[in-house]
Amino acid sequence: MKAIVLAAGEGVRCTPLTNTRSKVMLPVANRPILEYVISALVDNGIEEVVLVVGYEKEKVMDYFGDGNDFGARITYVAQTSQLGTAHAISQAIPALGEDNGYFLVLNGDNIIEKETISKLIADHAGDATVLTTPREKVCGYGVVMSAAGKVKGIFEKPKRQISHMINTGIYAFNRDIIAEIENTEISGRGEYEITHTLQNMVKGDRDVRVTVTKNLWMDSVYAWDLLDTNARLLASCESAIEDTSIIDDTATLIGNVEIGGNTVIRAGSYIVGPVKIGDNCDIGPQVTVLPSTSIGNNVSLGPYTYIQNSILMDNVRVDSHSHVSESILGFNCNLGPYSICEVDNDVNIEIENELVPVEKSGVVIGDGCKFGSRTLTEAGTLVGNNCTVRSGTTVNRHLPANSTVL
Amino acid sequence: MCGIVGYVGKTDASSVIMDCLRRLEYRGYDSAGLSILNGDLQTYKTAGRIGELDKVLPAEIEGNIGIGHTRWATHGIPNDVNAHPHRSSDIVVVHNGIIENYLKLQEWLEAEGYEFVSDTDTEVIAHLVHFYSNSLDLFEAVRKSMTVLEGSYAIVVMSKNNPDLLIAARKDSPLIVGLGENEFFTSSDATAFVAHTRNVVFVDDRELVKLTPEKVEFYDMEGQLLEKQVSTIDWDVEAAEKSGYAHFMLKEIHEQTRSLQKTFAGKLSELEGNVQLPELNLTDEQIRNIGRVEIIACGTSWNAGLFGKYLLEGLAGIHTDVSAASEFRYRDPVMDCNTLTIAITQSGETADTLAAIRNVAQYESSTIAITNVVGSTITREAENVVYTHAGPEIGVAATKTFTAQLIALYLLAVHLGRRRNYLLPDEAKAIIKNLKELPGNVQQVLNQRDVIRRHAAKYAANRDYYFIGRGLNYPAALEAALKLKEISYIHAEGYAAGELKHGPLALLENGMPVVAIVTKGRTYEKMLSNIKEVKARGAEVIAVADAGDREIGKYADIVIPVPATNPLLSPVLSSVALQLLAYYTALEKGCEIDKPRNLAKSVTVE
Repeated sequence: MKAIVLAAGEGVRCTPLTNTRSKVMLPVANRPILEYVISALVDNGIEEVVLVVGYEKEKVMDYFGDGNDFGARITYVAQTSQLGTAHAISQAIPALGEDNGYFLVLNGDNIIEKETISKLIADHAGDATVLTTPREKVCGYGVVMSAAGKVKGIFEKPKRQISHMINTGIYAFNRDIIAEIENTEISGRGEYEITHTLQNMVKGDRDVRVTVTKNLWMDSVYAWDLLDTNARLLASCESAIEDTSIIDDTATLIGNVEIGGNTVIRAGSYIVGPVKIGDNCDIGPQVTVLPSTSIGNNVSLGPYTYIQNSILMDNVRVDSHSHVSESILGFNCNLGPYSICEVDNDVNIEIENELVPVEKSGVVIGDGCKFGSRTLTEAGTLVGNNCTVRSGTTVNRHLPANSTVL
Repeated sequence: MCGIVGYVGKTDASSVIMDCLRRLEYRGYDSAGLSILNGDLQTYKTAGRIGELDKVLPAEIEGNIGIGHTRWATHGIPNDVNAHPHRSSDIVVVHNGIIENYLKLQEWLEAEGYEFVSDTDTEVIAHLVHFYSNSLDLFEAVRKSMTVLEGSYAIVVMSKNNPDLLIAARKDSPLIVGLGENEFFTSSDATAFVAHTRNVVFVDDRELVKLTPEKVEFYDMEGQLLEKQVSTIDWDVEAAEKSGYAHFMLKEIHEQTRSLQKTFAGKLSELEGNVQLPELNLTDEQIRNIGRVEIIACGTSWNAGLFGKYLLEGLAGIHTDVSAASEFRYRDPVMDCNTLTIAITQSGETADTLAAIRNVAQYESSTIAITNVVGSTITREAENVVYTHAGPEIGVAATKTFTAQLIALYLLAVHLGRRRNYLLPDEAKAIIKNLKELPGNVQQVLNQRDVIRRHAAKYAANRDYYFIGRGLNYPAALEAALKLKEISYIHAEGYAAGELKHGPLALLENGMPVVAIVTKGRTYEKMLSNIKEVKARGAEVIAVADAGDREIGKYADIVIPVPATNPLLSPVLSSVALQLLAYYTALEKGCEIDKPRNLAKSVTVE
């Protein structure tokens, strides 16, 4: 069996983190979201993967290469215009080659594990099989109604709670889907949606089945949702310390801590797992890192910094005496000494003209931002890429990319 | 230079050899051929790419032993006759290198009744081995031939009379043996067979190898059996494929965010303001006593070397000269035991650089090689090796290996500067901090690829291009010009901006693109005057400048911003931006980017 993974979309609601990379490349527990999808496929013995790429495709290709490092053989199909999931699938099918059997279609931006798709792989049948998963709140998702294992209807973001089964966007198709896609009409959003194709098939009395999974399927809608996903994934991480790392005798490591190659943990640092630290990092002396934190590669943390439940991406640099909690720092960010990322409960974050309530929030800082000394970034603030924040200032509202705060 | 392959085993030799040749194509690709032995010798060869050879091959050739060759012409034009393997009756030979005394040998062999059909120097090897094989067995005939041949060679010989034997030999050209299960390979480069085995033996100069389906044996020139060490190739050959990019060059340009980190991984200690290079076996006294550095390199590596000069003088306070290896060899260099020689070669097989470092041996001074290829010849010629760890590079135009060489030189300069107490810990610390930020900065340059692509398209039809810079931006200008020349065939020149008025200014015409590398630093103001100078003569100025430089827009027609960083490091960023400019220019012109005409990846001939 082969698989098509859709990885061409941008993921605008994860702004500002998706301004320079697509959502599938956002790191959670130090691996891009897409890697969890590829690993789940490979663990099920599916090694031939067609990746549909588009937005910021170079970052996907740079990371996954030909797939060899991940046990897969990856073929890339570039989707030049974003015309919807059905369009993406029809573009990718020729790359599956001669094999006429069933194939899987998955979204690259949902985190799954091996077991999530193993039942679908074993049980798929009929003209198409849709994988669903139960959710308490279905708001914002596509909902599937079914009876006796057959799909009766698929509804995009219904207003009423008609079913608790949501569409995971994972399907098993055979080649007949090509003809069905060709008959799909363009949607109100101006896209060809695979859910429309399926809806038409259901109406046309075709054999569309449903399979349910109760295993991992996580969707990070907004940037700050990555923190929950991160914590969930770190919970199952194990201690692993690379031989080439150097950990000072006076440093304390508690719980499951993963430390990458050539990383230095200096004197008096206190690290409580689950925590993952990447390669070539320079931590300490006297740094505190608390659960559930992921620190990427080539990160420097200066003396007396305090990091908790956060994601620090590659090349981040936090100078001495800084405090980062419940926050996400994008690639290449630089926080000066005594920088504070504030945390608060019940914050309303405005995004795309909508107020989104968040139980507990720190800040989200995009790539390449430079903060001076003694800066305060208030809870719930989103800072765009490449902003400059001068010393001694407070950031109390969202900053568009390339802003300077004087 | 050329790539050679030999295979003996249990499977279909022709398909194994074709696969190997395709992977060696980067070593040369103007003609190719192979011979398979199966009772009879079957030889197929043709001018052109490996793909052309595929067309003339029959669907199936039986035989489990054979040799193959992909050629880059040195003697004789690329045509079917000149393609290897070369044959003398029942002997066939493939060869990489140059036989210097071939004319003399040819006269002698013609007198002995041999008829020469090609214009190559290789054909003498075939006839010579045949001549000796009348009275000696194949191994002895090759050994005897080696005493007569002058020049450089890696050869694989096969004879109709020895149905399961290959003899390989080397002098001054690379040769590696791959140890599979019941099958053995030999080639110029492990890339050829690494899909089959990662266990290899590096053959040294003046050694012979006997390969049979059962075993491999190594001998010296006296015919004594040798014990050789088996090494493992740890890099991933599959990564040598394009993974979604249109060209290897574009893929390799993008890899720089990661490859640069690999170059400095584990070597930086920012808090201590130190660079650790445990691979250097130099005592403090030796380092203190260095009176002068001689950098020897060719092509892109030479440009990196010029960079090294500015760095070693600026950061370590050591007088440094940079020589083209092909010149150094034939000069009378003034050196003593306190001269440190640094040889830079990506492949580790560059013939002139190897010859030059061998010349240096007589001074009993310290030598350091900077190379990308683990186990390459230079690593055995030089006393110390600093690896660039950039991973294999397939595109002929060097990109990620060039920036990796620059990083290696920063590491070396800071290391030497600190150990000589010339560079203060604080200064070193600042450089290290900026070095760590470099991969992120490179990413920001790459993010501008679409903008750079538009600029490239605008000037792609121009006949000439100038690149100017001062200080460390001068070698960056040279390298940018070289990149553009190599892949787009546009006439491009790099100049030290201050030298313009001493001649080159006369060539400026209306609308001629001049790329000015004008990042902030000591010479910024001077560069602005140079830009005005060329503007006044009608040139179109493309400035590579620090992001946030508001002034430059007043003088330049186009500004390509690169993140502001330490002036010592900004040339790395400018180089990446200009690699993209060269790439997109060549793309616009429809050039064959990964394999430019007349060029080969590593130059193993002199």
